[in-house]
Parts: sequence; C-alpha cells; structure tokens
Amino acid sequence: MSALAFAWRGLVRQPARAGLGILGVAAVGALLFDMLLLSEGLVLSMRDLLERVGFDVRVRATMALPGSGPGIADAGRLTAAIAALPEVGEAVALGLGYAEIDRAGGRRPLAVDFVGADTSRRRVWTVTAGRDIADGHDARGGELLVNQNVASRLGATLGDVIQLRASCMHQTSALPQATFTLVGIAEFPFDTVRQMTAATTFADFGIACGAPGSADADMILVASAEGGDAETTRDAIARLRPDLNPMTNEQMVGLVQQSGLSYFRQISAVLMTVTMSFGMLLITVLLTVSVNQRLAEIAALRALGFSQRRVVLDVLCESALLVGLGGLLALPLGAALAVWLDGILKRMPGLPVKLHFFVFEPQALAIHVSLLVATAVIAALYPMWLVARLPIATTLRNEVIS
Amino acid sequence: MRVGEIVTLAADAAGTHAQRFRVAGIYEPVPDPMRLNSSKHEARVHLPDLLSLTANPADPLATETVDAVNIALGGSSDAEEFSRDLMARAPGLIAQPVRAAAYRTGPFLVLERFHLAIAIVTILASTVFLLALTVMLVDERRETVGVLRLIGLSASRLLLQVFAEGVIVASAGAAFGILLAIASQGLINVYFQWRYDTALVFVRITPGVVWRSIAIAVPLGVIGSVAASWVLLRRGVLSLARR
Repeated sequence: MSALAFAWRGLVRQPARAGLGILGVAAVGALLFDMLLLSEGLVLSMRDLLERVGFDVRVRATMALPGSGPGIADAGRLTAAIAALPEVGEAVALGLGYAEIDRAGGRRPLAVDFVGADTSRRRVWTVTAGRDIADGHDARGGELLVNQNVASRLGATLGDVIQLRASCMHQTSALPQATFTLVGIAEFPFDTVRQMTAATTFADFGIACGAPGSADADMILVASAEGGDAETTRDAIARLRPDLNPMTNEQMVGLVQQSGLSYFRQISAVLMTVTMSFGMLLITVLLTVSVNQRLAEIAALRALGFSQRRVVLDVLCESALLVGLGGLLALPLGAALAVWLDGILKRMPGLPVKLHFFVFEPQALAIHVSLLVATAVIAALYPMWLVARLPIATTLRNEVIS
Repeated sequence: MRVGEIVTLAADAAGTHAQRFRVAGIYEPVPDPMRLNSSKHEARVHLPDLLSLTANPADPLATETVDAVNIALGGSSDAEEFSRDLMARAPGLIAQPVRAAAYRTGPFLVLERFHLAIAIVTILASTVFLLALTVMLVDERRETVGVLRLIGLSASRLLLQVFAEGVIVASAGAAFGILLAIASQGLINVYFQWRYDTALVFVRITPGVVWRSIAIAVPLGVIGSVAASWVLLRRGVLSLARR
C-alpha cells in the first residue's frame, strides 16, 4: 500500500478529527486565499478599468488625480497637435465639471457630474439605451447622455429636452442655461453607486461652460498608434509639451495606489503572515497529538518491517492530505468570502462601482498552492522528527507495560 | 530649508502674484487619517496672506471667502444643537460637530466592518481547530475516564472537572493572546507609522477590546472542551475502559 493510501486510511479511521482538521485548514486557507486576492485586487481592477476604455496614455496639467488640479488650456488645439504625432493613433479631450439640471414642479435642480468628450472610435462610456451623442450642434442645442441614476431621478425618457446650468473646472459660476436633447443612457466606467453623470461632446461642453471653442480639458486621452507602445507615446507627448504631465495606465495605477489605497496591500500582507503562522501552528499541533497517540502503532509497524523513511513519509502524506483537502475546500469558501468582504469594502464612499478589492488571477492561485505546500511540509517537520527518532523496542515495551 | 530663510510662494506654476515669505518655524503636521498616503508637503501662512496669494482679483468677494470656519463652543454648549441652529439661521451653510463628522466618516466605518468580518472568520477557524484538538485530547484520555468511572466517579463529576479544566486552559490561552497582542501592537504601529510617515496609532488594545476578547475566547474554549467530553462521557463505562 502506498504511503498516501495508508495516510488516507489513517484519516478515514478518525472521521470527526480528520473532518474538523480539514475544515479548520479550509477556513484558514480561505482567509489566506482572500488576502492574496486583496493584495493585488485593486491594482488589477484599476488597470482593467483604465484599459477597458481603450486609451493607454492620459495627459494632465499636473500629477493631481482626475477631477482635481488645474485644467489644460486651449485643449482643442493641443488635442489636434497630439493626434498629429506619428506615435499617436487617437487623442480625445475630456472635460470634467458640474451641472445642475432643472426639474419640473419647483423641485430643487439635480446636481450632476458633467463630462465633455469628443466622440471617437474608442468610447469613454458604454451606451445601454438609445444612441451615442453625435458631433454637431443644431438650433435645438447639443445632445446629452446620462447614466441610469440621472434618468431615474429625472424620470426622463429619450428625446426629452434638458436644461442645465454648467459649472466647469471647479469654479463657481452663474452661466446661462444650456439646452440639450437626451439621446441615450450610458454606463460610465468610473461612476460610483450614487453618482449622477451627464455627458456631451467636448464642443457642447465648452458652449455650456461659457467657453465655446476654448474650454479647458481635465485631461486628454491618448491611444497609441497601431503597434506602438504607451511609453514611446508618453515620451513623444512630453517632448511636444514639456509643461504637461502625460502618464501611462501603469503610472496612473501607481498614482492611485499612492493616494491611499496601498493600506489594503499592507493589511493583506500582515493578515497573510498571521494566517500562515496560525495555520502552521495548528496543523503542527494536530499532527503532533495524532502522532503521539499512535506511537505504539508506529513502533509496531517499524517492528513489522516498515522503514524509518516510510513512516516519516506516512506522516508527511497525512499532513499533505489534511492541507490538500482543506486547501481544495478553501477555494470555493474563499471565493464566497471574497464576495462578502468585497461587498463590505465597496461601501467605501467615492469608489467606482466597477472597482473591486478582490480580483482573481492565476498567479494568486499559484502562490496559494505554493504557500499551502510549504505549510504542509513545515507543519509536518516536528511530527516527522518524532517518528524518525522513535525507539522501537522501548516504545513497544512501554505499551505492553501500560 | 531653514528657519529665517526667505521663500517665494505662488498659487500656480507660472508664478502669478508670487509673494515672499520668511520661514518662521518647522512643524509636524497634525496626524490626519484622511490624508494617510498623500504628500506631506505643507506650508502654513496667515489667512490674509493666503487670500492675497490665491484670490481672483476680478472677484470682489474672493478675499472674504474661506473653505471652512472652525468653532470652539464655550462651556457646556451642545454641538449638535448649535449646528442645527446655525444651519437654520444661515441657509447654504453646512455645520457639523467634529465628533459626529469623525464618526460618520465613511472609510473608517467601512474599515471597521471589514476588520470585524476578518475577526469573525478568524474566530470561526479557531473554533474548528479548537474542536479538532479537544476531540483528540479527550480521545487520548478515554481510558483514564473509563477507569475514573469504574472507581465510582459520576459522569457529572467528571464533566465538572472538564469544565474547570476548560476554564483554566481557555483563560490562560486568552491571557496569553492578550499579552501577545499588547506586545505586537507596538511593532504593528511602528511599522505602519514608518510606512506612512505619520504619528497616527493603527492598533490600540483598549480595555474594551481586552474584555471582548475574553468574553469570546473563554466561553468558546469551555464550550469546546465540554462538548467534546460530553460525547465521550455518554458512552458506557466498559466501552470507555475498552472492555
């Protein structure tokens, strides 16, 4: 009988103890797995959000996060200049501001985040109903997209005329009302749960902001030319306008991490260490007690001809089975736990709905398996040493006397 | 930069309305959990100097505009009531008591819930392991229990002994855990204070935390011991003595 089959029989013989041991490893393993998902989750999720839009370089006036800091002046001309660079495939100016939408019935105006972006092959948003905004500004005014929150709060339907008063680039203003036609409902990748967002073309954004043709942009989104890479494009833009701050998606992810979310990486490292140590200690205790209870049995097996190597291997296999089965059970348990914990953390104000703290990646699974293998081996070291040094004759004699 | 040095400050990179200031001192910023990871480059100037540096000359109200006004209430004034009264008298103003604002600050409430969830999972895992261990330990004493029953000790007497043992072991375990936590809180604080360059305290073992830990750990330990022993004590005496 192989050592693994022998260890399996040993576990089956004590189902309650084995079951509880496996369950304990599963709970610890689930926590460990979740901490691995948490350690890189935000970075992966943020990268995914940035890349989903399709642009690989973002140009801003300063290092400040989007929505804060000064805007880029003369954005229309600058966007055209950037788009003309051979390294660039496409450049889109993005304006961010606020607006108040008038509501019927004497109700208070609805405050929304106001986005202006030129239409392009790559969409900053995903249209879920109606159609996308088109270039052109006729006598009825521009076209407007809103997110589901705005549509629900306004009770608006496609084709409705919407009057809004814009307040752009974070300055107080008393601009006249601008008229828009609601043409669609869209999902915006960085919207928070309760965020109200409305979007129009960059030209109409400029008109609403009282700066037709010369609105400041919050950032310029740039897509590299076919076959080009983000770093080369960033360098080309930096050469064109050294006073601006072009950043690749990777740099943006780094900036977001620095801005306060690295806490989760730190806490996951601390909890991972504690969980590993805790699991290792407990498995060591379980195996040691189990071996101590079976000392006579092991001595008898040695007397029957089992080699020292074989009985040591039996203990290792028992540890591997405990940790292996527990680790396997830890995966679905960890996935369910991750959904629960993600739900708790996502209640943090100001976070995009599509941002997740726990994100699965194959590398996390590989590390999880490696850590569990290491746990199984290290936890089995002491009981293996006990078994290896077991004096056969003395143990059997003590057993007979007792 | 040294005390006494003259520096030039401007609100924008172009140096518009730049003004010269003398460095009067160097200070440690007040720890602010909301600015845990942000840049700690700060300068403090008198409010009129700041307004003259940043105000838009075209806006006549700019030099009269501030972001917030901090108010210290005298005597036993109620901050909640004062805030409500102020907001009623000056529509458009938002007045918030500092304690309430700190409590309601979303990220910290969320973090508290997250840490609580982690604690619950850890307690569940510990309970399972504890049960596994007690089942093994009780099984190890099976024959001893059988002999004690044979010489006349009742099951309830033995259960009482197991209960007393459980209380002692669980109390010792809880005490050790608390001592370990007290010893490690310094290390954790030192690490995070170094990592985030802040004087904020990240871990604090308060009497409330200690009592809560004891209230969870001791009953869990006792219940684990008694539950595992109860199964054994219900068996027949001869079965226990392997006869």
